[in-house]
Amino acid sequence: MNHITIACIILPFFMGFSAYLLPKVARFFALLVAVVSTGYAFKIFLDQSPITLELLDNFGVTLMVDEFSAYFILTNALVMIAVILYCQDSDKSAFFYTQLIILHGSVNAAFVCADFISLYVALEVISIASFLLITYPRTERSIWVGLRYLFISNTTMLFYLVGTALVYQANYSFSFAGLTNAPPEAIAFIFLGLLTKGGIFVSGLWLPLTHSESQSPVSAMLSGAVVKAGVFPLMRCALMMEELDPIVRMFGVGTALLGVFFAVFEKDTKRMLAFHTISQLGFILAAPLVGGFYALTHGLVKSALFLIAGSLPSRSFKELNYHPINTAVWIAAAIASFSISGFPLLAGYGAKILTTKNLLDWQVIAMNVAALGTAISFAKFIFLPHGGKTDVKPGFWRAMVLLLGGLITANVLYYQAYTIENTTKPLITIAAGWLAYNLIFKRLAIKLPRVMEEFEHLIGVMTLMLMSLFWMVMQWWAI
Amino acid sequence: MLEACVFATIMCGFFGIIAKKNLFMKIISMDVMSTGVISYYVLIASLNGLFTPIIDDTKDVAYADPVPQAVILTAIVIGFSIQALMLVGVMKLSQNNPTLEHHKVEKNNTP
Repeated sequence: MNHITIACIILPFFMGFSAYLLPKVARFFALLVAVVSTGYAFKIFLDQSPITLELLDNFGVTLMVDEFSAYFILTNALVMIAVILYCQDSDKSAFFYTQLIILHGSVNAAFVCADFISLYVALEVISIASFLLITYPRTERSIWVGLRYLFISNTTMLFYLVGTALVYQANYSFSFAGLTNAPPEAIAFIFLGLLTKGGIFVSGLWLPLTHSESQSPVSAMLSGAVVKAGVFPLMRCALMMEELDPIVRMFGVGTALLGVFFAVFEKDTKRMLAFHTISQLGFILAAPLVGGFYALTHGLVKSALFLIAGSLPSRSFKELNYHPINTAVWIAAAIASFSISGFPLLAGYGAKILTTKNLLDWQVIAMNVAALGTAISFAKFIFLPHGGKTDVKPGFWRAMVLLLGGLITANVLYYQAYTIENTTKPLITIAAGWLAYNLIFKRLAIKLPRVMEEFEHLIGVMTLMLMSLFWMVMQWWAI
Repeated sequence: MLEACVFATIMCGFFGIIAKKNLFMKIISMDVMSTGVISYYVLIASLNGLFTPIIDDTKDVAYADPVPQAVILTAIVIGFSIQALMLVGVMKLSQNNPTLEHHKVEKNNTP
């Protein structure tokens, strides 16, 4: 198993560079890598024995593979396969596939590593590969969006590096476990980096513009898998150190509410999905122990919805209300929306129930409000008029079959969720959400200001977050 | 004292990123900031000794810690490559926005 793990991490990078040298088969290489990752994830599930690898010495590379990482690797692999299937009909060059494979490999690396320096390298490779994918169309706007993303992530990673240095100074090792002995400022610096990379709370407000202005397959990849590379280490830290658990949960609740607040008022399909990604990351963080399953269902749904949004005739909900969309596309959108709102028979339901069971008392009310917000924002998709005629590419359907099929299959994993008590609550939430949408939110035309998304403010918010993180860590230090 | 200087460098870089209007200058400020971070690693490596860590039987002296230095090499390479990528991006942007003021670039490119 040790050898398989190392081979699975190296393979994407090897394949990525080979794909660029052999442009004719680049797509097959990408598919092969993703299929290998899927197989690897299933192997971890079957083995049921977590492995920890320490390469070199205590200061070297530490890897940790368990069921928790398997969920994330599986998400990444399935999203990647769907994106490749979707891109089949478009004339994407070998360069695109090369970047896709490298992105996939580095996201996987982030999911198995257990020390701060390997994580740093993985996150930086992710930034570079995502930048190249965002700027793939080479338009001025895409270059600016990519540049903004790269700038913010690199600045925040510099803070992260300072934190890592402090951890090393305290432990003479870079492993996650050393965070307990580290001074509070180290935790503040490292968390700032991870929160910004993962798109959590106010420091994650770079995410909507980046995810909505990229091409649909890239948005699907970014929203479905890549942001989780920042969230995963936070959850890992919260699980390893009980002291950090309340901080992570608190950020989870804050993020869920903030994201859903913006999503409810948003009138643009892709921006709504991007804001909703922020809110779902909050759900993942709110109950770190079961976040893996939630991340899987969210990855499948969100990438499906981004691909759907990309094949709709318009991006504005207002215009879509006057132009009926293809009925088959509408059904796909409805299945995905039902899953994410937590409707029974789809995987989103099991994930929501599992998360709700693992919430602490003080989180419950806030998370229910966030779930209601989710139902309201996805009513926008469900109540779109359908029956129109728009052509969709065959690749789109292959991707949908995989993603939505995955949702239905994953539903079986947690069949214990089906009790009458559990089933009524999501149904009431969805009904309330639809009612609220039709009575209030459909007519509302509030345009929220986008001041917070300006480049300068995003950088400025980093200082504020750093201060508040430091203060929060000091609080539990004092207890 | 040295530590204070290192943090002053990091902070100077960070404030440069916020205060400078020109995108090009922002990238230079980020480079200043990363120089600060790199020197912090070097500083930590030299806390226990200053000698180059090459094992030698004849000398029994306090060696510098090789691990942070080895690690920061990776970060230097990554920082450098990101810098290069960003400069290429800025070059492309400068064709339509010769002043490279980020307010203008942002206004032109936000929907």
